[in-house]
Amino acid sequence: MPDVHDEFLAEVQEIIESLSRDLLLLDQAQKDGHVQPDLVNEVFRGVHTLKGIAGMFGYAQLGSLAHKLEDLLDDLRLGRVTLSQEVLDVLFEGVEGFQRVLAEGREGPEQESDIAPFDEAMEELARQSAPPLEARGALEDFDLDPSVLSVLTEYEEHRLRTNVEDGVALYRLAVRFSLTTIDANLEDLKERARTVAEIITYLPSMEGGEGDSIDLDVLLASRATHAELKTALGEDAELVPILKRARTASLTHHDALAPPKAAPPAPPPGRDHGVDQLSLRSVAHSVRVDIRKLDHLMNVVGELAIVRAAVGRVTDEVRGKPELRHLALELHRVHRGFERRLEELQGGILDVRMVPLGQLFDKLARIVRQVAREHDKEVRLAVTGAETEVDKLIVEELSDPLMHLIRNAIDHGIESPRVRELAGKPPVGTLALNAYPKGNHVVLEIDDDGAGMNERLLVETAVRKKLLTPEAASELSREEILELVFMPGFSTRSSITDLSGRGVGMDVVKTNINRLGGVVDVQSDFGGGTKLTITLPITLAIISSLIVRLGGRRFALPITSVQEAILLDPTKIRSVEGREVLTLRGSTLPLCRLDVLFGLEAQAEAGKRFVVVCAVGTRRLGFVVDALEGQQDIVIKALGPSLSRVRGFAGATDLGDQRVALVLDAPGLIEEMLRSSELVALEAPR
Amino acid sequence: MSELTRLSRTPPDDLVVDTPREILAFDLAGETYAFPLAAVREILRVPLMTPVPRAPSPILGVISVRGKITTVVDLRRMLRLKGEEPDRRARVLLIDNRTEVVGVLVDRVQQVHHLVPEDVEDAGVVSSDVSDFVLGVGRPRDARGARANDDDIIILLDPTSILRHS
Repeated sequence: MPDVHDEFLAEVQEIIESLSRDLLLLDQAQKDGHVQPDLVNEVFRGVHTLKGIAGMFGYAQLGSLAHKLEDLLDDLRLGRVTLSQEVLDVLFEGVEGFQRVLAEGREGPEQESDIAPFDEAMEELARQSAPPLEARGALEDFDLDPSVLSVLTEYEEHRLRTNVEDGVALYRLAVRFSLTTIDANLEDLKERARTVAEIITYLPSMEGGEGDSIDLDVLLASRATHAELKTALGEDAELVPILKRARTASLTHHDALAPPKAAPPAPPPGRDHGVDQLSLRSVAHSVRVDIRKLDHLMNVVGELAIVRAAVGRVTDEVRGKPELRHLALELHRVHRGFERRLEELQGGILDVRMVPLGQLFDKLARIVRQVAREHDKEVRLAVTGAETEVDKLIVEELSDPLMHLIRNAIDHGIESPRVRELAGKPPVGTLALNAYPKGNHVVLEIDDDGAGMNERLLVETAVRKKLLTPEAASELSREEILELVFMPGFSTRSSITDLSGRGVGMDVVKTNINRLGGVVDVQSDFGGGTKLTITLPITLAIISSLIVRLGGRRFALPITSVQEAILLDPTKIRSVEGREVLTLRGSTLPLCRLDVLFGLEAQAEAGKRFVVVCAVGTRRLGFVVDALEGQQDIVIKALGPSLSRVRGFAGATDLGDQRVALVLDAPGLIEEMLRSSELVALEAPR
Repeated sequence: MSELTRLSRTPPDDLVVDTPREILAFDLAGETYAFPLAAVREILRVPLMTPVPRAPSPILGVISVRGKITTVVDLRRMLRLKGEEPDRRARVLLIDNRTEVVGVLVDRVQQVHHLVPEDVEDAGVVSSDVSDFVLGVGRPRDARGARANDDDIIILLDPTSILRHS
């Protein structure tokens, strides 16, 4: 049921996300020493909108929080407060506060949340901040008409002063726009001017304006040369520099910025509201949809796929009857048409579920900043592939594990600036967050240039915590040593810090990612950094599967993990350390006899069996099965909680023959089989 | 406090009811058992089941109930009973154990009985082996409210114990 309350929450969530994105940009701009006023305005507007709708829906706490932030932002844009890291702290704390109020506000508007950290930060800032600087008067040096100055808004005047103080040149541009197209013309002008100049204000000029057109005087501030400005604005632009006047000759002026002859005119329509109108327009093209509705549609598509399979069977049956040849052809044609449309429908729904990872990355960028500040570390976040699209559900589920990995990377990985310098590294650490599609998978990398993992320390810790016997430890390969961090109960730091030690270890991270059908691989270079690679399927909703037969039963194997299927030649099987392997095109492929693992009786036709080669991340395993039945799209459904501890299955699915088929959990099985036997023995003393 | 409330160790709210209380009785290995009717969601003919390799032994497999994957348990194995195998009168009861709805295979469904607290005895009278699953022992009355034969007893099972700790 569409709920106004839900709509409100969704909208607030959207605003908060865009706020936090803008704050991050602002943070970067502050560090670079060049803050664009547009950005401050953008944040101001976001908070302002939030305040408005919070009031409308009776969220008093949200409203008052927004109000306080709005005041601070207003001071910022008017130059009463300078943007500093401390101010940014307060702004970020404010966004956190919104999040908290929102999370608890799901219960309803009356819910009170703890926003004390924000209030404290705000008070702290108030104590620190010096009284605002008085106006400095440089403006009077310019050849500006006092009557123009008198109609500037406080903000416009502030921008004008700032530019003048910074030594930015001022220009006057005269333009003539048709009244019917003025909004579009102005947008166009702003767009062209943006890279080279700042538009301080524009006022209607009373000199011209024939019939349906209006003349505007635009006041620009720009560091570009006259010629560069002309190139950007158009060669025929009437552009006049506003010169500094000699103090003695204050009365002469080159009719720069002619004063309006009448009383200050009302601002042109759409000026202050341009942005709001724009966003309204864009909203009209998109619809917010509850993910559950999409799930439901996906289920319907799944049922349709079953119908399709059934129709396919009937078609085959009819085709076998000579007297029905004509009907069979017709049926075949209809079936094909149905199949194609169904594929389209399925593709369409899947597409709707996809969201760019950028949303998640923005959230993570906030964490990076926060954690780095708390630990006095300097971290530069480098993001690539934010546009990579993944199923919405996966993004949701990925949020916590990624947050944890990032906290870890900063807390344990990246060293303090001093240590880094001693090690001959740049003081600012780099944390790279890369995403890119790879076949049916999406790969996510979290790559830091920090201290890396000390293998010796890892082994010592594992032995000390009795996760490993010293004998077993001595036989571990490099990869296996790094994998130790994923063992339950493993944590190299004795003290649990506020950040990384929130009761979740790397084992939980790994489990969560495995549950999404993904795997985590770790690479580390002691002294040089650590790279975690997460490989995930693009979607969970409907997946193409290979149907295999094993012990007289059918199992589905998601095609995302399947590389190829080959006929098993029993004479080629070799045994390495008690494990069966096959040499496939020059590389060794460990085999897993599923019938043995599952306690089933193989029922292969005259000894003909198959190997399905599965790969997840860098690991490969060959599953031995009785027969291959073909490919089919399936909707995976979860097994009940009573089966949650049974390993090896990702769920079950309806194949349309009245009997449920189990879906094999290829990543889980690979994991289970390839874990070195010592580790397994120690981990599961059953 | 009524005797019945005392008997149920961790009673689901809808099971702590005053008299009369409705139970669904069924046959299992020659004895009569029952679940509180409130916990029975549906009665199904035995569908084709898909065994789940490496699942705990009482679990027979999974079925799809209108698209929802449901675990089915063999009550006989769970209660460690012996006796004739179920025939075509066997049914699967869908029981809400408050974590999920699970299927329970029984030999034959009998009928619904009404019980008053005086009709129910403490679970201590049955062997400790299965006492984890038993709420108490009931003695049903006939339609006129008269106690039936003294030999007729119904073992009242706790739906929340089914597959909750497996």
